[in-house]
Amino acid sequence: MELNPLKMSKGIRVALMGNEAIARGALEAGVALAVGYPGTPSSEVIETLQRYGSEIYAEWAVNEKVALEIGIGASIGGARSLVTMKGPGLNIASDPLLSAAYSGVDGGLLILVADDPGPITTQTEQDSRWYGPLAKLPIISPSNSQEAKDFTVKGIELSERLQLPIILRTTTRVNHSIGEVILGDRKIPKRYQKFEKNPERFVRAGMSWNFERHKWLDSRLKETEKISEDLFLNSLEGDGRKCIVTEGIGYQYVKESVSMENRDIRIIKLGLVFPPPLNFLARSLEGCNEVLVVEELDPFLELTIRSYAKELNLLNVKIKGKIDGFLPLEGELSPEIVRSFIFGKKEEDVMKTELHVPSRPPPLCPGCPHRNSYLAILTGISKAGFKRKDVPIFGDIGCYALSVYPPLSAIWTEHSMGASISMAIGMKLSGFDKPVIATIGDSTFFHTGIPPLIEAVNKRVDMLVVILDNSVIAMTGHQATPSWSETETGRKTKEIKIEDVVRGIGVDELRIIDPYNLDEMASAVAELLKKKGVNVLIARAPCAIYEQRRKGRPGYYTVKEDLCTGCLACIRATGCPALYVTENGKVRIIEDDCYGCGLCAKYCPTDAIVRGD
Amino acid sequence: MGNRINILISSVGGQGGLSLSRMIAVASGISGYSVATGETLGMAQRFGSVKSFVRIGLGEKVYSPVFSLREADYLLCLELIECTRNLGYLRENGRTIASLEVKPPISMSLEASKSKPNYSQYIETLKSFASNEIIFIDPDEVRRAAGTIKAVNAAILGAFVSISNLFEDKVILESMREVLGSEKAIESSRKAYELGKSLAKNKQSLA
Ligand code: SF4
Ligand code: SF4
Repeated sequence: MELNPLKMSKGIRVALMGNEAIARGALEAGVALAVGYPGTPSSEVIETLQRYGSEIYAEWAVNEKVALEIGIGASIGGARSLVTMKGPGLNIASDPLLSAAYSGVDGGLLILVADDPGPITTQTEQDSRWYGPLAKLPIISPSNSQEAKDFTVKGIELSERLQLPIILRTTTRVNHSIGEVILGDRKIPKRYQKFEKNPERFVRAGMSWNFERHKWLDSRLKETEKISEDLFLNSLEGDGRKCIVTEGIGYQYVKESVSMENRDIRIIKLGLVFPPPLNFLARSLEGCNEVLVVEELDPFLELTIRSYAKELNLLNVKIKGKIDGFLPLEGELSPEIVRSFIFGKKEEDVMKTELHVPSRPPPLCPGCPHRNSYLAILTGISKAGFKRKDVPIFGDIGCYALSVYPPLSAIWTEHSMGASISMAIGMKLSGFDKPVIATIGDSTFFHTGIPPLIEAVNKRVDMLVVILDNSVIAMTGHQATPSWSETETGRKTKEIKIEDVVRGIGVDELRIIDPYNLDEMASAVAELLKKKGVNVLIARAPCAIYEQRRKGRPGYYTVKEDLCTGCLACIRATGCPALYVTENGKVRIIEDDCYGCGLCAKYCPTDAIVRGD
Repeated sequence: MGNRINILISSVGGQGGLSLSRMIAVASGISGYSVATGETLGMAQRFGSVKSFVRIGLGEKVYSPVFSLREADYLLCLELIECTRNLGYLRENGRTIASLEVKPPISMSLEASKSKPNYSQYIETLKSFASNEIIFIDPDEVRRAAGTIKAVNAAILGAFVSISNLFEDKVILESMREVLGSEKAIESSRKAYELGKSLAKNKQSLA
């Protein structure tokens, strides 16, 4: 029996996660090239495609800008492509996005951008729908797994009809929800067709060309609703005079509420969220005496409807949503919030348990080499004669940001990809006279860490840069980095060595150290902190979880109960989640979770922690 | 309980809560039910709090992948502290199946010098809060029966199938095949599943 949903045949009904459905959609759309940069909640699309086989190209790129430009390059040659990223990734790729709107595409180009209301795993609650009006590109928004698949197919189709890139905008609850999907037919991937020289279209150096292309873009955008009509992106249900305009996951919450209440309500669902399908809206909103807009994050649709109130014949109709404070601007919606918004019911207070339940922020994993690195950095600061509170540690995006939580409480900032080094530069250049440390992971360094390192070296800014090299993009589920010699699909690659890049930039000193050798690394940090220039320490040890999955763990440790005094030195130093305090006040190691790194044992004054194997 | 069944799965990242929700989703698909799940994947996956929503529609479509407090018909817990955290989701007369495993978060261990922890209070809270008898699963028993504590999720699944009567055994086996992949994992999960079923049956015959 075929278990891979990408290989199943047409008509079969399967339960798929939204991202798996998008991957299936890519095959049904004849996509030949899928490329992205990992970012929750978008990563599983490429991952799923990578398990499909070699018929299409499905690989990670070094960052989102490069990924999008690869997609554009393929599409102007007539190939169909899919580019995936999380919301903040599109900020990095926004430069090519805006230019791609001017040149247009020949083969379909669909850009998945996954936002994260909540937020559940993202630095900001950005609403990427604004990229529609900013880049002047159409945005389509699916509301469940079936639509995630179908809109991928329709998006590629629309892209070719309009000759414009299309943004497929999702949110976590669509990407990471499982729902039933009826599969369609796969198409033969559409690869390179032809590419003819056409500077007016593809060269943005000619200002009069740009002006003309801008006019072309506006005229294409205007055609969007008409050209997409037979794709049935929007839908209308019910015929009450109380009307709800919604999109994305909001639609599911509305359906849930309305089907429970069984009332006569008109539901206008937009799949095309930009440009607004004004004809459809005008038709659907006729006769409404109240319009409720249900959407997550910004009042994007609400503002649209309010600004076209005259054209939509809504001048005397109450439009309710976020602007008047009925729905929250921050966080996720929920079926409950939507239900009380539509029906004006207040939910009763929820019973509270008497017990205080301690919070559980995600810790660094047991045996994580980053724990050692940050302990070495903190120890090194003291060794060099500084106070911890005097030496800021700039952090970056990746698992290692979890070092912010006690007991390590290490990083001072975590901002945007690559910002650790650049922000440290700014601090120094503005007159900060103590040393600064920038810590950045290997894939973040490849992603956007190289230009700031060039800047630091070039401007002679004194700092210590610690590159935390666990040789994998760990936080998003262990994807390949440019340092691999073979990707997930088995594609042979030329490995890029971080040390070669760092040396090539011309840093003053480079050392490579195994962070499990804690004392050695602490000494190196102390020495380099006192040296002038840009000094780089590569702390290299594989991600513990990834290594364990591939090779098994090196061992495990256990606590001799009679020797343990309950001083908690082990827990206070490491914060390793495999350690906990039992009801008699002594420490125990959850042996199934222990990686066997031995770090906690170093801190035990009574040698109660010993190898268990 | 209507024709829509809400299940909340509460676990610590890495325990197998996601596979459990996936197995129920796949089994629902095979059984011809409407199904929607809502997960939080990503950073919180490893050793953080993980909450998975599973919604099943019997002859009726489910729309929202998540539900609200006091709407869970079943609360399935792989860890006691997380179970207590999510008690508010349980509806009156809802059923709870909980593994007795405790994995105290670091924040709690760091506080432990001030007052010694008391983990049995979580069991007491669960008991006093739930209106129905709770089915507790002893992870050591799972380890003995299945060879690994990783199969606790399958034991919970067994108990759940036993009290809900939603799935046939062969459907569960098929979903294990699809979700777990490796023969070894399927084998230990199958044993744990049987254990969970018999635990729940004994409970019911005693009651
Ligand atoms: S450091 Fe040693 S003695 Fe102190 S609590 Fe930990 S195991 Fe027990
Ligand atoms: S040896 Fe100690 S610090 Fe290392 S993983 Fe095991 S319990 Fe955690």
